Amino acid sequence: MNRPNPYLNDHWHVVAGNEAVASGQPFRTVLFDVPIIIQRLADGLRVTAALAPEKPLPVLERYGFIWTSLGTPMPLFEIPEYDEADRRNMNAGSLGVAVSAPRAIENFLDMGHFPYVHTDILGAEPHTEVKEYDVEVSAERGEVLATRCRFFQPRAATSSAGGQEVEYVYRVPHPYCSVLYKSCPSDENRRDVIAIFCQPVGEERIVAHMLQSLIDDVSTITDMRRFQQTIFGQDKPILENQYPKKLPLDPRAETPIRADKSAIAYRRWLSQMGVNYGVIPLVPRVADV
Amino acid sequence: MITLYDFELSGNCYKPRLLMSILGLTYETVPVDFYPGREHKSEAFLKLNPFGELPVLVDDGLVLRDSQAILIYLASKYDKTGQWYPLSDPAVLAEIAIWHDFANRITATASAARLGLSMFYDVDIEAAQAGAHQLFRLLDEHLWFGEREGRDWLCAPSHPTTADIACFPYVALSEEAGVPRQDYPAIRRWLDRVKRIPGFTVMSGVFPAGPAIEA
Amino acid sequence: MSELSAAWHPIASSEDLPYRHVFHGQLLGREFAVWRADDGNVNVWENRCLHRGVRLSIGINEGAELKCQYHGWRYANRTAGCTYIPAHPADAPARRITNRTYPVIEFAGLVWSAAGAADAFVEPLQEADWFALRPIPVTATPEMVRDKVVAAAEPGSEPVRLTEFGYSMKLAGGRGEDAAVFIQPVDAGRAVIRALLPETPAQPLATLRHYNALLNALREQIERTAREAPAPEPIEPEYEPVSLELATMPELRLGTRTSIRVRVARKYDAGEGVIGLDLAALEGHLPTFQPGAHIDVHLPNGLVRQYSITNGPGEQLHYGIGVKREPESRGGSSTIAEAVREGDLLAISEPRNNFPLRRDATRTTLIAGGIGITPLLAMAKNLFGSRLEFDFHVFARSQQHLPFADALERFGDHVSPHIGLDAAETGRTLEEIVGSYSFARHLYVCGPAPMLELVRALAARNGWPDEAVHFEYFKNTREIDQSSSFTVELARSALTLEVPAGRTILEVLRENGVEAPSSCEQGACGTCLTKVLEGTPDHQDVYLNETEKQANASMLTCVSRSLSDKLVLDI
Ligand SMILES: N[C@@H](CCC(=O)N[C@@H](CS)C(=O)NCC(=O)O)C(=O)O
Ligand code: FES
Ligand SMILES: [Fe+2]
Repeated sequence: MNRPNPYLNDHWHVVAGNEAVASGQPFRTVLFDVPIIIQRLADGLRVTAALAPEKPLPVLERYGFIWTSLGTPMPLFEIPEYDEADRRNMNAGSLGVAVSAPRAIENFLDMGHFPYVHTDILGAEPHTEVKEYDVEVSAERGEVLATRCRFFQPRAATSSAGGQEVEYVYRVPHPYCSVLYKSCPSDENRRDVIAIFCQPVGEERIVAHMLQSLIDDVSTITDMRRFQQTIFGQDKPILENQYPKKLPLDPRAETPIRADKSAIAYRRWLSQMGVNYGVIPLVPRVADV
Repeated sequence: MITLYDFELSGNCYKPRLLMSILGLTYETVPVDFYPGREHKSEAFLKLNPFGELPVLVDDGLVLRDSQAILIYLASKYDKTGQWYPLSDPAVLAEIAIWHDFANRITATASAARLGLSMFYDVDIEAAQAGAHQLFRLLDEHLWFGEREGRDWLCAPSHPTTADIACFPYVALSEEAGVPRQDYPAIRRWLDRVKRIPGFTVMSGVFPAGPAIEA
Repeated sequence: MSELSAAWHPIASSEDLPYRHVFHGQLLGREFAVWRADDGNVNVWENRCLHRGVRLSIGINEGAELKCQYHGWRYANRTAGCTYIPAHPADAPARRITNRTYPVIEFAGLVWSAAGAADAFVEPLQEADWFALRPIPVTATPEMVRDKVVAAAEPGSEPVRLTEFGYSMKLAGGRGEDAAVFIQPVDAGRAVIRALLPETPAQPLATLRHYNALLNALREQIERTAREAPAPEPIEPEYEPVSLELATMPELRLGTRTSIRVRVARKYDAGEGVIGLDLAALEGHLPTFQPGAHIDVHLPNGLVRQYSITNGPGEQLHYGIGVKREPESRGGSSTIAEAVREGDLLAISEPRNNFPLRRDATRTTLIAGGIGITPLLAMAKNLFGSRLEFDFHVFARSQQHLPFADALERFGDHVSPHIGLDAAETGRTLEEIVGSYSFARHLYVCGPAPMLELVRALAARNGWPDEAVHFEYFKNTREIDQSSSFTVELARSALTLEVPAGRTILEVLRENGVEAPSSCEQGACGTCLTKVLEGTPDHQDVYLNETEKQANASMLTCVSRSLSDKLVLDI
């Protein structure tokens, strides 16, 4: 079985929503093909591998989710907005998907599919253009950043009334997690935050955990969850029909266009970090050397 | 006013949404936080449906559960063409009952496997998938012979009925249940036909079809 | 396996492929998207969009193109070439993005293909009124299915081998016919039994049901045995890498130089003074083109001329062009009028598109003057086929002069012919057509230079932004001023060249051994477009729009020169 490289292993990985783990009831899930058990005990959370119940794994509760690690985790990335007092923070659901984590992240970064996959919500034909945007990989922060991303959207959020050009910023601060900031329909100076945290159950199966941190004091939590689930439910059949399921890191495996700049940067970054799980690593071709 | 207690990702809730869209009915939606909130097991919801299941439809004080029962009600009351649930045709009505039962069997297999895989319901996923494949073999055969007999739909030869609506959602969502449809070409063609019914609407996980060729 | 992959196998029944449907097929582990275009042609493609690997079997068969469900890329009937990338609606997908195709033959009611480079198709059966039974997918190895099928022969009869996986045999419990039974090897652990009867039986339905029950029972029996052993691992499909060119996103379009031989399949009168030519592929189909594209035609007298392709989407067996007979012709049209005959062979270039059609307009207005109709005809066919909003205005001297009048009929209300107007009337009509600009509208105009100038001026006056007004000149009628002299630095080739008065940049480049693509060499076609890194070009072309000219970021080296002493080019 393929094991994650040390870089991946020494990250925190999401394994459950806070509320999924009730006290007195062990919660079973899988991380990197390793079955694990989460328990909420009187003195806090306990996470162990099912086959090594004596040895506790590191555990962290953050952003409404439970995180653990099979290695020695470096600090979890920051989402400073999460702690702003007036934000409505919610777990929008944890859904199992038959795809690799990097494919799901790439889809999260992608705007070109809005008119086709999220028709009449995040996009609508004929407004299909992906305008030029900027991408940088910040080596010291260890994250991919795409800015000035703009797209024409008929209904950008639960609270929006009509079509508008929406501006996005995307961060990939973790090989399997991404955070986006988008113009907020109710306050033009602030940004709604939506994040996807992928739990690598196996190389080709994930649990996609979704966080929303919104400026919206009108909609109910149920409404806001419904919006995000509607969107992700539309992505799901696309992700499950992508082949190969693992993300190919060879630039010649697929055909990028300018709109895919962020995906290309992400693939390069994964290559540089030696990420080897959920991807098809780049093997230099003799003819190219 | 018709009110539907609804969860977007539920195929059973999609059935009344689909029929109401085709019939051009307006209705109100009450979103229920089925997942992760399990609101359908809340005390308030259990008063509407003691089984704690979605969907529930309320019309003029009448509270209905069970998606097939809801389809029968909507079609009988609101379909002016009389084709979706043809009250005057006993043979077709009986056929519809057979396929409504079939729809529940699909829920018990294909939908169960999907809930197991995507929302971690405690089900025997492999058994559910095998059950779905058995049903799909029967469905494909029925539809394949239908094409040869001049019957494009499940029951009546010349038009769709509530049976088509009842069977459509979890067949169309079967890939999420780990049940591919590659071995069922007649099912795949029937899905296209359903998607081309005027007024058809999608749900998350179901793609629309392109227009048919003009004759 | 390599030996097997060259073999032909049935992968579907013809009946499995109604119009506007995509069938999901598989052979030896390779998945196929199989679809019938409106012209009847069957396409067997790798089931994977070249962009991000999404299965094309969940895409939409639009009749002439297949549309991917993820980002809406369109791929053409027959060639599988990408014709449109909606994320970049203003660009023609210039690079040759072509999906992997597999060979296909419809024979005996079945669709046949091969999982790799195929041998020539040898008909495994005699020509007859073959009657296809309901195909039966079986979860077992193809070898086991084959052996069990052979064992299911009527006792006393001997199956005759037709192919590695096909037999002529009487099935036990059948009705005595010599059935042809093929086992389609789908994957390591899956197969489909595809059986044919030699003629349509007297009672087709009863016979179909009879054999269906029989084969279902056989399947039960095979699968029971198959379940005793663990299922084999599926065959790992190999995906070919895309070309280096596709993987690296070049920013600059390079001219295509390949020349293709075509046969003049039809030469006809396409309206007063216009000759229509259909240039057919000698074999198979011609390269993918997009609406607005043109080809170079190499004429017998050595001249090279550009003509727009008038075809609709997915029409890949010939290119239709229109040639205007011009009394004071520069040699092109008179040669075609006189010297080119049906059956002649000509050389043409691959299609090039400097006049791409955006499909993201809320409404598209096409304005054609005379022979300028040709590229717009291809656009109109595309818009019409995709049910997009458009109006098509065609100006002609008289009804007889209206080119391709037959082709216009199908557009119905979308077309407005404007016949026999004088200059003043034309001006007023154009003013009305152009009207005021609204969000996401686009205007395309092609015709005589004065008409183009007028439309551009009207559009500018009515608030149309430059990028919403698209035009193609047939030729550059401007007087080219060649009096300047200046220095050109080639950034990538590290060369510095002097361009004297009377010589073009292009000529100087070539004299110095620098390869540079070109075509019309009069500043109209855009083939020699080059990026400018430094300096101010003296634009003399009719290809770039005003915004592009003012940006000074690119120029046409065949006519344009320099206002500054030095130009630095990205060559
Ligand atoms: N036969 C019922 C079945 C309804 C059903 O299974 N609904 C699901 C949602 S799609 C449900 O509410 N399940 C409750 C649960 O499993 O917790 C119908 O057709 O309406
Ligand atoms: S994957 Fe097909 S268009 Fe992007
Ligand atoms: Fe999406």
